[in-house]
Parts: sequence; structure tokens; C-alpha cells
Amino acid sequence: MTVPVTPTVEWINQCYDHEGRHEHVSLYLLRAPEGTVLVDSGSFYHREEITAAVDEATGGDGPDAIVLSHSDYPHAANVSPLGGDTEDVELVASSASPAQQGLPDARKCDIGGSLTIRGREFSFIDPPLADRSHTTWIYDHGDGVLFTADGFGNYHDPGQCDHLSGDFPDGTPAEAVYEYHRDNLVWLRYVAPEKVERTLDDIFAEFDVRAVAPIHGNPIEAADLDGYRDRLGEAMRRIADEYAVA
Amino acid sequence: MSREIAPGIHWIYEAGPDRTESWDLADRNPEWYEAGREAYVPQCAYLVDGGEETLLFDTLSPASTDEILAAIDELVGDRGLDYLVVSHPDVPHAGNTLAILEAHPETTLVAPGYGNDHELYHLDDGIHVTEGDEIDLGDRVVEFHEATFLDAPVSVWMTERETETLFPVDWMGFIHLDEEKLAFVDELDGEFDPSRLVEFHGRVLFWYQYIDVEKTNAEIDRLVEKFDPEIVAPAHGLVIREDATDYMETMKDVTRTIDGQDRIGTLG
Repeated sequence: MTVPVTPTVEWINQCYDHEGRHEHVSLYLLRAPEGTVLVDSGSFYHREEITAAVDEATGGDGPDAIVLSHSDYPHAANVSPLGGDTEDVELVASSASPAQQGLPDARKCDIGGSLTIRGREFSFIDPPLADRSHTTWIYDHGDGVLFTADGFGNYHDPGQCDHLSGDFPDGTPAEAVYEYHRDNLVWLRYVAPEKVERTLDDIFAEFDVRAVAPIHGNPIEAADLDGYRDRLGEAMRRIADEYAVA
Repeated sequence: MSREIAPGIHWIYEAGPDRTESWDLADRNPEWYEAGREAYVPQCAYLVDGGEETLLFDTLSPASTDEILAAIDELVGDRGLDYLVVSHPDVPHAGNTLAILEAHPETTLVAPGYGNDHELYHLDDGIHVTEGDEIDLGDRVVEFHEATFLDAPVSVWMTERETETLFPVDWMGFIHLDEEKLAFVDELDGEFDPSRLVEFHGRVLFWYQYIDVEKTNAEIDRLVEKFDPEIVAPAHGLVIREDATDYMETMKDVTRTIDGQDRIGTLG
């Protein structure tokens, strides 16, 4: 089962349980003019659920292309089960050394460049919030969705797994945004938040972002983007302030 | 390819792809680069042989499965591999974990105790180590430390007590020329050019462009005082066996340089 985010972007969400608090480990399905495109492939931990969901969403045909944000296992572990190692499915990744990343068959996308995949244009953006060096954010020019692995995440409670940001009483909770980034982007303990915010300003000025699609959080709808960014800024300031060099 | 860097500590080397084109070296022609040469950011693993027991720190990438298995066989022979330490579950560091454990069922997996999603990396079954945990291998004792400058939250650094070697994983990596493979930094021609460190950290630890420089450099001061190593053995550079703390101090200039310039580029 998928959750609609925009007219042609659907969310395939799975959760990892941190002793009662959930973390999404998601992927997205785009219905492009010339086929279906997946952004990321999810974790082996949810392989059965993910392959079943993709199968159902594509009428048993599977995807026509897979675009990876990066090769980290929770993002790239189902490339082969979803057909990404076959000639029928185009695999796109940003690494210049795909063999070292375990993706020897991938077509390279250049961070900073664009590609048309199955009739849909994607831009690949150098991300200010990520963990691994070869990560790319992916902007979908069709519906204006920005895929932001591993930034813009949040933890959530059971029962909120299918929520879009607008389903929360007041948008994505600030504490959940803070906790996620504190735990997962450890380098933020050294961050100068204004530098990240300047880069985010540039990205949002260049691209008409109508929804943000994190891999590890609830999707953020257009009306909630400003509020989320305010909370993200506060989270960065708090993480940096809480860490003092001993 | 391997080389012994101190008695009982072996450096296992994977070159990876030539970076000349993707890093635009021919056109930019940085001072350390020589026209027509290939250049590499290596992927390194280290095998510590303590006489009684053996330990491998990282696995090389999936492109070098046969090479790492052959290196283990060559270095430990019939004695077997007692411990496999995964510094962090990044593919180029951990991509041969299952292959090694299959080939060496006698091996105990050792994983970072930091982070909160070990199951997503098949690291839930291993021994989890954090700051101050030790493994006594006989003549060599390794100690584990919270990783300071890192990418994945599931990360750990390591030191070896007798040789005073620091294994800082993704920190202190740098690019080198083709003929410098497995050379120690003190064996390079001429003076080491710190811009090599800038090239690497500006691309790989991309977040250096978003940090508070003074706070980060205070952290480097703390690391120098804490470790004061004789040898630095990075995962993505050549081994430093002379004036190791001077190179750590140099990292403060690297931080300032990255802060003061535009993004040098991506890893590619």
C-alpha cells in the first residue's frame, strides 16, 4: 500500500522501531510519463513488505527505474530484488566508483546536473544535510518534490506512520525533528547553523519545492515547509549548543 | 597488496578508481600533482597480529572481495582470524563483512556500540564496543574510541597501545599519486602538501563547509592531547609514521581553508 504525496508521487513507508519510537526507512514511487521510477530501494530488513508494495503498486510489473540517493544499506539494499540488476530496470546512482559502493551496474548521475529518466526530469543537488559523502538530494521537476536523504527527517509515534505533515496537529513535532537529527547527523554538534540555512535558502530559491520527501521522516507538504525549516534551524542550534568540547 | 607498518600491524591497500578526471586534476593542476599521473584515494584495512590472536579492522570494498580474503589467508595462515572490527557500516569499509565471516566462521564480529539501528546493517549480533573497551591480542592490545569526525552514527575509532597507532577511519585521508601506493608519508618526494588533505576533506567530509571552525579546531586540540600517536593509519590515505601529531595539528589549517573557499567538489 502506498500513500499519495503529490499527484504522481507515492510514499512506500516502512518503520524501524526504536523501543516505541519509530523511524521511517522509506522509498518513493513516481509515475513518470514513460514508466515508474523508484527513489531509493529501502532496507533488507523490510524486503518482503517493500517488494510486495512495489509489486502491488505496479500491477506486478515492478519498477522501470531506480534512482538512489546514496549506497547506504537502508537505501540500497533492495536494488536486486526490485530488478535493479537487470537490463529492464535502469539504475541511477551518484558515485563515481560504483563498484566500490556495491553498485557495479549503475548509470552515474552528476551531483549538480540533471537527467531525464523515463520521461521525467530530475536534478541532483549537493546536499547540506546528509551523512555519506556521495549522497545526492533529488529534485523531481514534475511535481516539485525534493527528496532529502538523510536530512529533513523525524521520529514519530506508532499510529503516525502514514501521516503527512498536515496530519499532525501542528506540523511535524519540533522535538521529533531535533531527536532525529541529533542521533543521525552526528556532525551537527559542530555545525554553524547559518551556513546550512544559507545553502537551504539557495536550494529553495532555485527549485520550486512543493513537497519535501525525506527517507527517514514524514513527508512535508507545501503549507508546512516554512514551519519545518524553522524547527530544523532550532534543532541545529540546540544540537550545537548542547555539545561542548571537553 | 599489503605492507607491515610496525611489528604485527599490516596495512592492506585498495586503490579504487583513478580520480584524475573526476577531480579535474589535469586542468586544475594542484601543486602536488604531476601531469599525466594517475591519482587515488585508497581504501585501507589493517590487520593486527598480537601473536596470540589476530584482528582485522575494516574489510575493503565489494570490488576487492578476493583481494581481502587472499590477504587474510596470507597474513594469518592456518591460525585463523579471531576478530573482524567494522569501523562503520559504509559499503567501502564493511562491504566484505559477510564474505569474510563466511570464509572464517571462527571470527568474532566486533561492531561500534554507537548509533541506534544496528539491525539495519546486520550488526546486531556482534560484540558492541564503545570508548575504552579493549581487546587483548597478546603482544598487541587494541582500544576503541568514540569516533569524532565521522559520517555514519554507527562508528568507532581504534588505537593500538604498544605501537601508539591511531586508526581515525575517514579522518586524515588524502589523495596520492600512482607510484606512492603503500608508501609512508615520510617516503614521499619533497615536502607533504597539506592541500591533499583539503582535497579529501572538502569532498568526503563535505560537512566541513558547514561547521564552526573554532569549535572544530578545539576538538582537534583535544584529540592531539588525548591520543598523541606515533603512527596515524587512516582508511583513505597513506600511513603517517613520523611527526604524527604535527599532521593532526595541520588539520586545523585544513578546517580553516575549507571554510574560506568555495566547495572544492564532490567525491565524484
